[in-house]
Amino acid sequence: MNETLSQIDGSGRQESMLVAAHLSKRYEDGVLALDDLSLAVAPGEIYAMLGGNGAGKTTTINLFLNFIDPTSGQAIVDGIVTHEEPLTARQKIAYVSENVMLYTNFTALQNLDYFARLGGQNDYSKEEYRTALLRVGLQEEAHGKRLRDFSKGMRQKCGIAIAILKDAPAILLDEPTSGLDPKAGLEFISLLDDLRSEGKAILMSTHDIFRAKQIANTIGIMNEGKLVMQKTTEELRGENLEELYVNYMVSGMAVAS
Amino acid sequence: MLKLMILKELKSIISSPKFAATFGACSILILLSIFIGINEYQENVKAYDTASQLNNQRLAESLSWHGMSNQIFRKPQVMQILVSGVQNDIGRLSSVGRYEGIKLRRSSYSDDPIFAVFRFIDFAFITQVALSLLAILFTYDAINGERERGTLKLTFANAVPRAKYILAKFLGSTLGLVIPLLIPILIGILLMLLYRVPITGEDWIKISVLLLTSILFFVFFIAAGLMVSAMTRRSSTSFMILLVAWVTMVLIVPRAGVMLAGQLVTIPSVAEIESQQAAYEQSAWDAHYDKMEEARIARRQQMANMTPAEKEAFEEDNMWGWMEEEEASRKKIQGEISDHNKKLNEDHRNRRSEQERLGFSLSRFSPASAYQLACMTLANTNIMLKNSYEDALNQYRDGFLAFTSRKQEENEGTSGIRISIDSETGFSFSGSRGIESLDLSEIPRFDVPRQTLSTIANSTILDVGILLFYTIAAFALGFFAFLRYDVR
Ligand SMILES: Nc1ncnc2c1ncn2[C@@H]1O[C@H](COP(=O)(O)OP(=O)(O)O)[C@@H](O)[C@H]1O
Ligand SMILES: [Mg+2]
Repeated sequence: MNETLSQIDGSGRQESMLVAAHLSKRYEDGVLALDDLSLAVAPGEIYAMLGGNGAGKTTTINLFLNFIDPTSGQAIVDGIVTHEEPLTARQKIAYVSENVMLYTNFTALQNLDYFARLGGQNDYSKEEYRTALLRVGLQEEAHGKRLRDFSKGMRQKCGIAIAILKDAPAILLDEPTSGLDPKAGLEFISLLDDLRSEGKAILMSTHDIFRAKQIANTIGIMNEGKLVMQKTTEELRGENLEELYVNYMVSGMAVAS
Repeated sequence: MLKLMILKELKSIISSPKFAATFGACSILILLSIFIGINEYQENVKAYDTASQLNNQRLAESLSWHGMSNQIFRKPQVMQILVSGVQNDIGRLSSVGRYEGIKLRRSSYSDDPIFAVFRFIDFAFITQVALSLLAILFTYDAINGERERGTLKLTFANAVPRAKYILAKFLGSTLGLVIPLLIPILIGILLMLLYRVPITGEDWIKISVLLLTSILFFVFFIAAGLMVSAMTRRSSTSFMILLVAWVTMVLIVPRAGVMLAGQLVTIPSVAEIESQQAAYEQSAWDAHYDKMEEARIARRQQMANMTPAEKEAFEEDNMWGWMEEEEASRKKIQGEISDHNKKLNEDHRNRRSEQERLGFSLSRFSPASAYQLACMTLANTNIMLKNSYEDALNQYRDGFLAFTSRKQEENEGTSGIRISIDSETGFSFSGSRGIESLDLSEIPRFDVPRQTLSTIANSTILDVGILLFYTIAAFALGFFAFLRYDVR
């Protein structure tokens, strides 16, 4: 862990908000889902984990939330080792899951209110909830409707609004664009840009190469639990990311630079 | 945060689509059962009053103290409205007289068998069957359903302690389900007041305890639902498990316990006992008649060589002695028969209560039986009702017979002696009735057997304790299962 931290500090960047230090996870059935993963996300930075199904992206995010304990290594949020102090660590994380479902008997506003309060934000007004929903692109008329009538994309937007409202320094997004149509996808990208400007450290998983390249500061390609490539967007300028990605996917043995 | 999560639980129960339908149905069921219970009770009271009056009239018209028989009716109880128990199965009256033993006859169901087909549905039954199902219906997916919907992950992405979460689940479901159910129950009790059911202070205590016991039973199923939900990944799995458990606890174990006890402790049927008694009686009388016959033959042999005059003198001298002898023997045999019958009945009753005890102990493995037994004990409509009435009636019979004998003797002094001959008692003497009718004001009154609150407490504490134990155990197991629950 010190190695990773000092590496980053040495490079003159701000101290990292999210750090994975030699993180490994072997599930009970023997699957090695994550193999010595190290990465760091600084405030004001977006890190995109690219990888196919089963690459270990969700496992990484779950380790940051301490939904599972690491087999070895540490997931660190703002200096807090998550499996040692999960409750404190979670105060600093906003999270959007892969398939946002929420409470289908509650309206969008009710869901927002409940989760905002759970996240420790007790002072929001109804107007602020509406503003957050409008910000993620949910039309006014849907705010008071129960979620059972919502499409996958609309629920996803609610989930993103909940994450924004928590106003945590770190944001974990597990395939956040999967349910969004192109227009909503674009809006989401600009929203991420805003959040980055606010100084949030954002770690997102995706298999959408195009969006990753568009928004991320750093892109890591994962395959079979290993980080097989990690490059900043500057380093990637002029390179064909699609080609790289497919290469790494096909020859998983290729060594990260 | 606890309050927030409890409130959310309340809201989600009340806003769920199944809430309106199930609570509507349960409210109607509860209100209807109490309403019918009140009607039934009032009808019983009316029948009780009329029958008592008729009996008093009949007594007033009787000619002598000798052989007077009284009829005692089982008094309707307020609590039978809520817990009918075996109240409709036991006879409602017994004759009390010299020539008949105590036997409760004419139960509601034997008079009107149609009601036995669809047995009376009371509040205790609704709680036992319908409300327990309702509790399962609202809790089977409490934990695993949230996992399936992804809300568990979203919740625990915040600084939420697990212990607080499961506690909020439990308290929220309990409040969210109990409070709405209290409304029809309270309206039902109001209905009882409206219909002028004479609820005494003691009844109020019993009603309160019954209500608390019912809530405890209901909460057990909430805890059980939570427990199974926190031990399984899928709500379809937990639903199946809970359904099977419900059928086992509510439908199978109570009956299986009693049936198993029937196999383990066998008791002769009432008919067998009666035929045994009849056989003994027969042989005793046969022996008596044989002995009398022998005595007569002996006498005849003694008199064989006498002259008719001597014979007559001999007979005149001894006649009284022979009669007394015969009477004494007859009395002795009557006593023996009565003792024998009593002993057989007592044995029968002891074995039966042994069987009952075993059956109840076995069925108490199910909280549903514990609940049912507690309710019936509270309402005094349990299996003891018959015994306690029979005991009280037997005691009353002794007093009543002593009283009528004394009255009869007193009257002998004032009026002439009348000798009556009766096939069973032989000779008896009674005062003939004067012109004036009998003074009935001193007839002993029958005291309705009542349980004191302390005996009720003693006999319900076991079942309430069992319920409490099961509830705490279910909650604790669910609690610890959830601490290790994989929220993904
Ligand atoms: N609970 C689990 N038990 C066993 N294996 C799991 C579990 N969750 C994920 N895996 C395995 O771990 C690997 C990584 O999964 P995941 O992190 O979900 O990948 P991704 O999100 O990149 O698609 C896959 O091979 C998956 O089958
Ligand atoms: Mg995934």
